[in-house]
Amino acid sequence: MSATLLRVAWIHLKRDRVALALCFVLPVVFFSIFAAIFSGGGEGGARSIVVLLADEDDTPTSRRFAETLDDMGALRLSRGPAASESNPDPAPWKRESAHRAVRSGKAPVAVVLPEGFESTFGDFGGDRPAVDLLFDGANPVARATVDGLLQGAAMQAAPDLLIRRGLDQLDRFGGGLTDAQKRALDIFLPVVRGERSPSSVTGDPRDDEAENSGFGGLVPVRATEVGAEEDGRSMVAYYAASISVMFLLFSMVGAAGSILEEKERGTLERLLASRVSPGRILGANWIFYALLGVAQLSVMFAWGAAVFGLDLSSPQRLAGVAVMTVATSAAAAGFGLLMATHCTSRNQLQGVSTVLILVMSAVGGSMVPRFVMPPFMDQAALFTFNGWALDGYLKVLWYDDPSATLGASLVTIGPEVAVLAGLTLAFLGLARRAARRWDAA
Amino acid sequence: MQFDARIRSTHHYASSPVDDPVLTVTDAAKSFGDVSALAGADLTLERGEWIGLLGPNGAGKTTLVRSVAGRVRLDAGSITLLGEPLNQATNSRSHLGLVPQEIALYPELTAEENLRAWGALSGVAKAELGERVDWALEWSGLAERVGKRVKTFSGGMQRRLNVACGILHRPEVVLLDEPTVGVDPQSRERIWGMLEALRRDGASLLLTTHQLDEADRVCDRIVILDHGKVIAEGTSAALKERTAGAGASLQDVFIHLTGRELRE
Repeated sequence: MSATLLRVAWIHLKRDRVALALCFVLPVVFFSIFAAIFSGGGEGGARSIVVLLADEDDTPTSRRFAETLDDMGALRLSRGPAASESNPDPAPWKRESAHRAVRSGKAPVAVVLPEGFESTFGDFGGDRPAVDLLFDGANPVARATVDGLLQGAAMQAAPDLLIRRGLDQLDRFGGGLTDAQKRALDIFLPVVRGERSPSSVTGDPRDDEAENSGFGGLVPVRATEVGAEEDGRSMVAYYAASISVMFLLFSMVGAAGSILEEKERGTLERLLASRVSPGRILGANWIFYALLGVAQLSVMFAWGAAVFGLDLSSPQRLAGVAVMTVATSAAAAGFGLLMATHCTSRNQLQGVSTVLILVMSAVGGSMVPRFVMPPFMDQAALFTFNGWALDGYLKVLWYDDPSATLGASLVTIGPEVAVLAGLTLAFLGLARRAARRWDAA
Repeated sequence: MQFDARIRSTHHYASSPVDDPVLTVTDAAKSFGDVSALAGADLTLERGEWIGLLGPNGAGKTTLVRSVAGRVRLDAGSITLLGEPLNQATNSRSHLGLVPQEIALYPELTAEENLRAWGALSGVAKAELGERVDWALEWSGLAERVGKRVKTFSGGMQRRLNVACGILHRPEVVLLDEPTVGVDPQSRERIWGMLEALRRDGASLLLTTHQLDEADRVCDRIVILDHGKVIAEGTSAALKERTAGAGASLQDVFIHLTGRELRE
């Protein structure tokens, strides 16, 4: 009896291609995507981080430091904006221009070597000007990587300076290597290793503050998240957009599945016999789903604003979010109709769309931020709905320029809106083509 | 026939200026791939007449009805409705009502909401819609369940509402595909009573059914279709006399004409 039941179950599974795909194909596809993301494997390898360098010191030591940093391979150092027809010979990055570039998402990190960099290079204490690391909060990985590489570069860039500075420190703390000074060094060395606080040696609490501003490293680094304070940006913006877009797709496919239910119930046939054309049926459904999508996204962003402090107070952001919400909902509604018109049953729709949406979401950045993806995956994201929708939302919520006019801020999302509009037309066109089978045979 | 005389249609169907048949199907042919569904079928429906369209499975009944409903394009032949050739754009299609075999209703909507929706989709003017819906609810015996969702209705109630939605726009020609399938005798009687009221108002009905006793009882004329062609037609009595002999049932006639071989 059990054998019979097993056999029946096996026949059912074998003949249900959607169930087979969900059972065997989806896990393999997902594993491959995440393996590619986190191993940095595949064609194109791991991505290097673009770092903007503003050298305010402009001394032999700062230049050697920059060259060493450039040679480390994990970074791509940019010393100035790319030349263009309007600006064939652009000026090197300055603190302000680098700040603006990071703010607008052109690079995840900028390094500013301050004046006095050379004269204090290798000092372990005192008033050392800190290297400024301006980072994009959307990419914490880049910040941590560059921070570490700066210390490595300091070690490799000027060992002679480090030795000299080391002796200076020895003289400062040891004073001729008397016994008492040796004991003092024994006490100080754990501080260098980070095992004790400086104040435990000097008795001055201000030395702890000095350590916090870079005492613990060869190069004192002051990391600043660009836009976090002045514009009230927070990672809530990223998650609000990424989660909303993914669930919007699920909602739209779920809603569009009602067309298949209408088909099974016979109401679709009755509608068509009532002289309602397939185009009109699709059009009415698309409008409804798009409005539903707008409502869903609006609720998500309103919740983010009310509960998690997502800043939607400026007219630019509000208008940008509104435009992106309409464009995204329109395209997602089209996607739902595309899926519903190509599937023959609700079960098939559910299975196929789950695979597609999860894959698009993983590749498009809804599950894992695109900055951790290898370059080929980042490029692949541009072939997904999620990739374009997220790019648009992040431009509005993250990389917006608060000083820009309303018109100028909307222009920045022009490409994303155009692509989403194109996707809408393509989805609707393909859905209409698939709905030809609704026409009189 | 048991029928509550209080429930009467409050309207009468418009009369055509001539006494031509309301529906004429001439030499209709349709193939789906290698399968010939219609192979030169002819049919004429007179004003106020009820025709029972019978035939074994695969005989072409549904294809013929769908052709008249504009859902199948004929390979050859023609269909004329109220004197006008039938096609997608034909105005006379608004005079056609379709009651499909499926319960083609929105289960989450109430009876009234379904009627309003199908009435509007069938072209009933907004000003008339309320009155028509009230009439249909009375006509189908669903007035007391007006605010209930259709998914809570019994099979018989859903069937009645299904019929009501198909005739709300007062079509002159009504196509009914198995209107009483799967319902209990009480609901069936009620549905026939509803349809009888349509007959009194002058509507013409083309009915497909496998319930031969009912066709025998209510139809003016029987048309038997097999292999895509009309193989016999006439009043029930005439068919019986011509084929199986006096005292035979319509089922005897049917078997006599179409054979005992199973149809797949």
